[in-house]
Amino acid sequence: MVAIHQTVRPAAPPARGRRRRRVRPATVAAFLAPALALFLLLVVTPILVAAYASAFKWNGFGVPSDFVGWDNFTRAFADPTFRGDLWRAFVLVALSLLVQLPAALGLAMLLNQPLRGRAVYRLLFFAPYVLSEVTTAVLFTLVFSPNRGLGDTLSRLLGAEAGAVFADPDTVLLAVFLVVSWKYFGLHMVLFLAARQGIPRELTEAATTDGATAWQTFRHVTLPLLGPTIRISVFLSVIGTIQLFDMVWVLTGGGPIHASETMAVTMYQFGFRRFEVGYASAISIVMFALSFAFALVYQRVVMRRDTEGAVTTRGVQG
Amino acid sequence: MIRRAVLHLLCLAVGAVIVVPVGFGVLGGFKDNGQLSTNPLGLPDPWVPGNYTGILASGVFWRQLANSTLIALATAAVVVGAAALAAFVFARFAFRGREALFTLFAAGLMFPFAVAILPLFILLRAMGLLDNPLGVILPQAAFGLPVTIIILRQFFRTIPAEVEEAATLDGCQPFGFFWRILLPMARPAIATVSVLAIVTSWNNFMLPLVVFTDQSWWTLPVGVQAFQGQYADDTARVLAYVVLSMVPALAFYAVAERQLVGGLAGGVKG
Amino acid sequence: MTAHLSRRSLLGMAGLGAGAMLLGGCGGDDDGGSGGTQTIDWWHIQNTEPMLPVWAAMAKEYQDAHAGVTVEIQPLENEAFKAKLTTATQAGSPPDLFQSWGGGVLAQQVQAGLVKDITDDVAPWIGSLLPLAMQPYTVEGRIYGVPFDLGMIGFWYNTAHFERAGIGSPPATWAQLLDAVGKLKSAGIVPIALAGKDKWPGHYYWSYLAMRVGGLSVLQQALEQKNFDTPDLVAAGQRFKELIDLQPFQKGFLGAEYGSPDGQAATMGNGGAAMELMGQWAPSVQASSSTSKQGIGDKLGFFPFPTVDGGKGTVTEVFGGGNGFAVGRDAPPATLDFLKTLLDVANQRRAAATGAVLPTVKDAADSIKDATGKTVAATLAGATGFQLYLDQAYPPALGQQVNDSVAELVAGAKTPEEVVKDLTAVAKSQ
Repeated sequence: MVAIHQTVRPAAPPARGRRRRRVRPATVAAFLAPALALFLLLVVTPILVAAYASAFKWNGFGVPSDFVGWDNFTRAFADPTFRGDLWRAFVLVALSLLVQLPAALGLAMLLNQPLRGRAVYRLLFFAPYVLSEVTTAVLFTLVFSPNRGLGDTLSRLLGAEAGAVFADPDTVLLAVFLVVSWKYFGLHMVLFLAARQGIPRELTEAATTDGATAWQTFRHVTLPLLGPTIRISVFLSVIGTIQLFDMVWVLTGGGPIHASETMAVTMYQFGFRRFEVGYASAISIVMFALSFAFALVYQRVVMRRDTEGAVTTRGVQG
Repeated sequence: MIRRAVLHLLCLAVGAVIVVPVGFGVLGGFKDNGQLSTNPLGLPDPWVPGNYTGILASGVFWRQLANSTLIALATAAVVVGAAALAAFVFARFAFRGREALFTLFAAGLMFPFAVAILPLFILLRAMGLLDNPLGVILPQAAFGLPVTIIILRQFFRTIPAEVEEAATLDGCQPFGFFWRILLPMARPAIATVSVLAIVTSWNNFMLPLVVFTDQSWWTLPVGVQAFQGQYADDTARVLAYVVLSMVPALAFYAVAERQLVGGLAGGVKG
Repeated sequence: MTAHLSRRSLLGMAGLGAGAMLLGGCGGDDDGGSGGTQTIDWWHIQNTEPMLPVWAAMAKEYQDAHAGVTVEIQPLENEAFKAKLTTATQAGSPPDLFQSWGGGVLAQQVQAGLVKDITDDVAPWIGSLLPLAMQPYTVEGRIYGVPFDLGMIGFWYNTAHFERAGIGSPPATWAQLLDAVGKLKSAGIVPIALAGKDKWPGHYYWSYLAMRVGGLSVLQQALEQKNFDTPDLVAAGQRFKELIDLQPFQKGFLGAEYGSPDGQAATMGNGGAAMELMGQWAPSVQASSSTSKQGIGDKLGFFPFPTVDGGKGTVTEVFGGGNGFAVGRDAPPATLDFLKTLLDVANQRRAAATGAVLPTVKDAADSIKDATGKTVAATLAGATGFQLYLDQAYPPALGQQVNDSVAELVAGAKTPEEVVKDLTAVAKSQ
């Protein structure tokens, strides 16, 4: 029996000796081969090409020939628009973690309750994720249409002048964030739901039988067991926010006057509109480096517990 | 019970926030552009069913639907298959270079797809995969590997060691354990990543655009261009078209959802 | 015993990938087959009515008349076309016949050796086209493309609104325009509709003012000398600022697009604003975006961009652009003959009759049906000079910067002096 005030933790991994599996290298290689082949050929190779191009001034035609070394990078960090992009990325990540993820978690818990029509709600809440970015943007430009009723009221609620929520540099980033949240919270909700399904009923029932309130059960039993999934969700959310492109591009194009521009939008502008492919590649390398640095730190610090035990044993010993 | 009522209210409120924009979209498909400009959010007056019926009656829409479906399902099969195999060894075995390789895969998440498109195009052309559905399926699968491996590895870890040991004692080879025991147990996770793969493929625009010159291979997102002109979009038709495009994806989710919920919820007694 | 992946196999796979890429880089295009069958890959952007079936009919007629030639048409939407063409040309496989606006983008393609020099091939029949139209498609004296459509930017205005505001006749000078804006505001009418989000409509104002203040060639000179920091161009920005400071645009204009249901064209078409500075397609887009489906009907008028007092430009100097086709470097020989067919008088008349194209072949002008088309064509016929839209005329990076800088000017985020400095910086870095 578990005392309620103890937070449930996965049991410590068994002794080292037991964990080493006897496995033939060939077996491991065979399992990894399909994914690795696909990945190296179709993902790594293009990335390496882009990395190469980032050291050149290149308009995309022919082969890069004008070597400029680090110039593209220094140019990026000196550019006020790009610096603004970095700041906006930070703001969006903060908003995601503070608003979007908790909401998704709450909704997943909600939908786990025995409610009538639960299946319909589940379907409904996930629906936005299924829509394409273009669709979502088209819908929301409709909703926020200037001069018309609902759009007017909503815009005013957000602090913009009537109907101008995407036209006002002060509110546009917030508005974009709301649309992005609307679309993507379903993804996190589904992840949490699936994870929640994996928690044996016996555990939560045991807690309730012991006299825990719903909140206590959640806080001390469910939440820790959801921990790994939450950490993955945070990871995906941060990386996804750094890469944010499609929605912003279609909703606002990064405007007005760069007020909603993200690094990926800047990269697309320079790569596909201005044909400054070397510079755009450099921006993409910066995005990559940022994400990678975050991932490294995150793995070391936050996910250490998850990385330690390759296999957890369920079942709590008192 | 009050609690039940409050929960219902909450669900309804959130549901409203979800449905309302989509509802506007659905209604918008029943208007024409003129109505959209003066009355974007109200009921259509008069109702213009022509947008929806026109699209449904056109063979082009159904062919694009078939293409999108084929490509999405194939992408999901490839990515989930390859990722499950890889995630299995990442999750259950220790070997030198494991974390480094895993990080390599995770790094694929961190690179914007748009930058890869030119080198990818050259590669596909060299491999003769242009105007070939594989030219879309394989890159989509490759770019879907990071997320899928990350999620699957997490789930595969939660299978208790005792289950595996029991299987090994019974003389089960790694692949046998993988195929007959692990996969069925991980059904919620498999369903989740399949849905993710299908949805991502469904909405992908850039790749099919550059790979397919033959219009008979166009997928739904690329097909929406038919309603977009040089200077103006026929927004009403675009709305009808995108609403119809999302129905199959939602339908698939509805089916997969049962797997998500119905998977083995309980753990195994230690 | 632990397993590890053979490093050799990893390197091997990476090498395969790189090798495939290099192979691809040397690859050329495969069509223009042997033995008399030729396939022409044709990419155009008239992917909707009315031109879509017209082009298709012309292709079919050509195929029927020429055994052994197949025309594969790929109609694409504007933005999708640009994306797809970029990838194709950068990878070294341009299509055989494709949409081109000429100017700096074409020049870049010429420099990369991707388009055919067709000067000699078209010499026999090129004289039937308006000389003004050929300018954007000529790079260093050689011709690389042929236009089928030519237009100009001017003010489209609502005559009823003007009457209500007490404006007697359309403004002929910049000062009169500002005055008219004032009168419209007093009468409670939105003076100008502008698509702030799209940016390119805004650059029309700045470009025209530059032409009116500094003369026709000022924009071309600035490019050649890589210097925009001249008194004339600063003055152009200042004139524009005078207009912006009057706040003449519709509500939410910074987020408005051109062709969307609540955009610039719809605002005009529904009588929500008194004027817009737009190209020859304006009346039809206004009509299709409007509730009545007919725009403002016979209340629509046209006047050319006003002159600036003391400026070097004249009212007959025209800013605009058109549509044309360029020929890819690997195009089969039949492509040029096909192009000639598309541009013959009969076919140009067909295109003109649809109302979506203003023909470049002089003799086809009589087929233009609607009144506004005729007005524009007449103005064009009397033009003494032509400047192509800057986001096409200039190299792409500079063209985009023009759009961005003018958008910043419109939003009040930069001054006219800063705008020219930004432009100069980008021009110098080319």
